[in-house]
Amino acid sequence: MTSASGDRTWMDPRGCLFCRSSCPERDEGRIMFYKFNGFTQRLSGGAGPAAYCPQGLKPLVSTEPPTMIFDTPTKSVSELEGGGVHFLGRNKVPDFQQIFQKPDGLPVHLKRGVPDRLLYRTTMALTIGGVIYCLVALFLAAQPKKQN
Amino acid sequence: MAHQAHAYHMVDPSPWPLTGATAALLMTSGLAIWFHFHSLSLLYLGLTLLLLTMIQWWRDIIREGTFQGHHTPPVQKGLRYGMILFITSEVFFFLGFFWAFYHSSLAPTPELGGCWPPTGINPLDPFEVPLLNTAVLLASGVTVTWAHHSLMEGNRKEAIQALTLTIILGFYFTALQAMEYYEAPFTIADGVYGTTFFVATGFHGLHVIIGSTFLTICLLRQIQYHFTSEHHFGFEAAAWYWHFVDVVWLFLYVSIYWWGS
Repeated sequence: MTSASGDRTWMDPRGCLFCRSSCPERDEGRIMFYKFNGFTQRLSGGAGPAAYCPQGLKPLVSTEPPTMIFDTPTKSVSELEGGGVHFLGRNKVPDFQQIFQKPDGLPVHLKRGVPDRLLYRTTMALTIGGVIYCLVALFLAAQPKKQN
Repeated sequence: MAHQAHAYHMVDPSPWPLTGATAALLMTSGLAIWFHFHSLSLLYLGLTLLLLTMIQWWRDIIREGTFQGHHTPPVQKGLRYGMILFITSEVFFFLGFFWAFYHSSLAPTPELGGCWPPTGINPLDPFEVPLLNTAVLLASGVTVTWAHHSLMEGNRKEAIQALTLTIILGFYFTALQAMEYYEAPFTIADGVYGTTFFVATGFHGLHVIIGSTFLTICLLRQIQYHFTSEHHFGFEAAAWYWHFVDVVWLFLYVSIYWWGS
């Protein structure tokens, strides 16, 4: 940052013109930048650019080298993006919840449409047919045996 | 659109109570027709109708609970009371058969030889297959509890594994018991010993099959993500039923197999 005249000021990251090294004792109206030396447990003057890098902050980008990988694990189908199969199948419950909560007025035993209707009609046919068969069988069973 | 101002479940009209009642009519009449006229058609028709009714009725309950969200806390409480009352009624059912057993075995009549087991009956050794059966059912009680805890902790894979193991143990019990039935030196027609033995253990075996089926349905539902770690009453009901089956076996083992031998 330069002033209108182009002179370098104390805030210039390129460093103060008056001292290339730290000058903590020099207090000439300029605000000195101090940094904490963790080893000596004392404050010491910091160079200009260090003022813009607070010690306490963690770097955004890790400076650790990436761990060496000697072998990538076999990617199973379940790790694929886009909702592939997981352990023994994908969770389809939300889809079913949408189907069964459709406000179409259908009772729960017919909510899925064709397969439900088929099963219901088969069951009803067996019920009505069965009752008729039962009544006939009981009527016949109630007839007296012919005596010889 | 009108919304309900309460947390209870007003069910849609359903045909299944009618078809279920018809199935009961057909099965009872069918049994009578089979006894007197040797025809099994009516009985088979009744059994088919019963199967169709159960599948569709319980399928609808799953739809209402898991997909439509009708099983609020008060509704779930009602379901819990219902299951407990049903299991209690089953306890009384077995109590009757235990009563019959103790009535006959505590005071054996002279016709039996005045002793229990009756003269001529060679009972099964309680420390062979029956003891193995006891171990199998006790182990299945542990695995079903393991499945429940896995479910509550959100551990999908372990819940599936533990539930599968429970079902396998249930089928193992059934297979062992079927083999015992085939190999037994006495039959249901061998006096009151045979009657009490096969009726009590037979109804127990039927309940093991029912319990295994219930657990299998729960396994399929767990695989399809129906259960959450907070809400899985269907599984709890199956686990309660399974523990009930286990306890009945323990009473059967101690009373009929061990004391009665």
